Amino acid sequence: MKTRRTTLRILLVAAAMAASGASPGADDARTAGLRAAEIKRFEANVNADAKTLGQLLDDGLEYVHSNGELDSKQSFIESLTSGRRDYAKSEAEIESIRILGDVAIIRGKAKVTVIDAGTSRDLHIGYTDVWVWKDGRWQMTAWRSARLPDSPVK
Amino acid sequence: MNALRRLLPLAALLGMAPFAAAAPRGDEASARDAILARFDAALHADTAALERLLADDLEYCSFRGTCQTKGEYIGEVRSGKLKYQSIEPVVERVKLFADSAVVLGRVTVTATREGAERTVTLMFAGVLAWRQDRWQLTTWTSTIVNPQL
Repeated sequence: MKTRRTTLRILLVAAAMAASGASPGADDARTAGLRAAEIKRFEANVNADAKTLGQLLDDGLEYVHSNGELDSKQSFIESLTSGRRDYAKSEAEIESIRILGDVAIIRGKAKVTVIDAGTSRDLHIGYTDVWVWKDGRWQMTAWRSARLPDSPVK
Repeated sequence: MNALRRLLPLAALLGMAPFAAAAPRGDEASARDAILARFDAALHADTAALERLLADDLEYCSFRGTCQTKGEYIGEVRSGKLKYQSIEPVVERVKLFADSAVVLGRVTVTATREGAERTVTLMFAGVLAWRQDRWQLTTWTSTIVNPQL
């Protein structure tokens, strides 16, 4: 596990936070919990923290990178711990969090510097990830992202 | 049986319906059908069907990384700004929850946007919410798997 917390910056905008199926107080708590989980997940990516990712990622995770590459939970964590993929920097801006019962959707943008098989790339992506409430905690089950027009495509 | 018949009025009085079918609920098959119906409606520019199949709070995030509301998306289909030539979806997984479902799959789309035709293969994630006795698409997001095209 790396320790590069200083390279991570999370901007919390959460412009449109909507929730359903619970009282406002409970919604606020669940939204806050999700936001915290998302921040922790970005940090764990940068730090290649397999233990934290093991808790935050669903066993059925489908992680589709912006270049179309598909990872499972196991292959995603392995790519970080082996050093094959290295998130050197990650700036995420959470734009919305929506909760639909036991499913939640987070949408945002991120500026990421990733060293992939030795090649460094600066990416600006729009992302949407889907979380599910399982075993008493939020777990990310799907990640989809797209490079924004100002992102270099390599 | 006679004893059971005698209990029916009591059950009715207590608001129970021992022999009534449970209220219809979304299941895995119907979630899959809802996603496929949404593709079919888009292909045929059937905006009335899209109005039913898409939730009012839809966030439609395309492979370009930008998101639209239900009104914006249907408006593009209605106006012909976005016109689908073919849509070939494969639903790979459905994860069912109490009042929602996550549908994952691939789809190859040929569409014309503002006159420019493009074919893309996408890996998508759709989140459906069970509302008004039917599935409604509340989130759509996808990543292009052939970005070089």
